[in-house]
Amino acid sequence: MVKIVFVSHDGSDRTELDVKAGGSVMEAAVANNIDGIVADCGGSMVCGTCHAFVSSEWFAKLPEQSEMEICLLEFVPEPQDNGRLCCQLEVSEAIDGIVLQLPAQQR
Amino acid sequence: MTTPIADHIPEHVPQDIVFSYDYHGDPRVTSDVHSSLQSIQNDAPPIFYTPKNGGHWVVSRFDEIKKVVEDYEVFSAKEMQIPRIENPPFFIPLNVDPPNNIPYRQALMPAFSPKSIKILEEKVRHWAATIIDDALAKGDGVDFVREVASVYPVSIFMELMGMPMDRLWEFRNLSEAFFSTNDQEKIHQLSGQIIMTMTEILEEKKANPSDDLMSHILNIKVKGEPISLGEMQNMCFLLFLGGMDTVANVTGYAFRHLSNMPELQKRLSENSADISKFTDEAIRMFGVISNPRIVAKDSNVFGINFKKDDMVLCLLPISGRDDRKNKNAHIFDIDRAKEDSNTLTFSSGPHMCIGSFLARSEIRILVEEWFKRVRKYEVVPGTELGFRMGFSLALTHLPLNFETV
Ligand code: HEM
Ligand code: FES
Repeated sequence: MVKIVFVSHDGSDRTELDVKAGGSVMEAAVANNIDGIVADCGGSMVCGTCHAFVSSEWFAKLPEQSEMEICLLEFVPEPQDNGRLCCQLEVSEAIDGIVLQLPAQQR
Repeated sequence: MTTPIADHIPEHVPQDIVFSYDYHGDPRVTSDVHSSLQSIQNDAPPIFYTPKNGGHWVVSRFDEIKKVVEDYEVFSAKEMQIPRIENPPFFIPLNVDPPNNIPYRQALMPAFSPKSIKILEEKVRHWAATIIDDALAKGDGVDFVREVASVYPVSIFMELMGMPMDRLWEFRNLSEAFFSTNDQEKIHQLSGQIIMTMTEILEEKKANPSDDLMSHILNIKVKGEPISLGEMQNMCFLLFLGGMDTVANVTGYAFRHLSNMPELQKRLSENSADISKFTDEAIRMFGVISNPRIVAKDSNVFGINFKKDDMVLCLLPISGRDDRKNKNAHIFDIDRAKEDSNTLTFSSGPHMCIGSFLARSEIRILVEEWFKRVRKYEVVPGTELGFRMGFSLALTHLPLNFETV
């Protein structure tokens, strides 16, 4: 099992998920009703409403972003350098324990 | 007149999932279009084959629709006519499957992103206020569809594209004529005029670029190469088609529904913060676009055999009313829980509406400005409400009586 932690925007809410490897972090979040993940396009990488922020350590460890992901993250309501689209992150041992900070709003 | 199209059921379709439905105008559909469609959703299998309009599949429930619109390898967006025709219209990026749609989508995305739409908000609010003031000045009986819902998105579209506002009336008239006719000849002629107008403006932008969507479209590069004028015209026309009638009709249905809910009117006029919840709920309940797909290869999906070139129609406007997905799906409730607020009004998958952030803001802002001026309103008693069906649902008029603040 892979541990994924979601922290709400203001830090007041913290949800730990234990999920099976496979599928995307977005899918895991949606299946578990994580409030701050909207995922309008269902993982087709055209909406940007599944973004979250990670620490710089995690950011460095994650696989590289595609051009489209970079572009989408640049135009979310409040862009930050350490954003990722959850639909582009695969649930695997490599991200065990990752902490994802949710944005104030997805759209 | 066109000749009627013969009913057809191909051999690979099992009898038990045949169910008759005519998307052009079904005898069961009344002016309460969404409720009628919802009762069809309840009576029919989630995926059925209708012999009407040459025969095609219909997908009516949330989970099944979501799968179809996301699975572009089986259900392609490259053709969208039911029944199929020779040389079907082709729009960019609407009829381009991944990965070739991505560069276009990427080029358009910045202008439609939440960040850019926030910046546009003040202009949207200005138009909402002006248009509502002009309409209210006409007094009781004013046709909300004609005076507000259908003109509002035209102004916003022009602002977004960067079209000169001194051409507002010309463009409004073109748009009104275009969306209110069914005459193919006329549609063809008006399309030409609309594209020509936008081309003139594109040419002007080429000489004097600024920070707007049209200037941006002029600079789009795909694989390092600039796109052709034809492609630019094509995208501009798709944006025109996608951004007017859609907003107008969702807004129209939302206002019509709210006219029967005096308590909610009171709540919205006293708590403007609730208007974004109202917008979301209206979008869930009153989708207007159904999307067609063509089966790209023989496949078995949902335990059903689909054959290459079968046409499939997804009933997005009732996706949010699926009681298997949302509790009390038929009830308009702005306080519903997030897990019961699912909808595919803007579709999902690679072609999910690029204008969805804009559309949501447009509707929210219009309602906000409305309740700054109107205390309560009703549909003029005795009004017979007209509607149109097809790939898009429309209401033809909505005369209102109102009390101002
Ligand atoms: C409430 C209003 C709206 C509704 C209900 C709506 C609905 C939709 C739907 C269902 C699709 C997907 C079509 C398909 O997959 O076949 C779509 C796509 C699209 N919409 Fe909207 N739309 C709205 C507003 C807008 C606005 C305001 C614009 C732009 C000004 C716009 C531009 C587009 C474009 C360009 C596409 C094609 C995207 C692509 O293929 O990648 N729409 N819309
Ligand atoms: S779900 Fe749309 S970009 Fe991730």
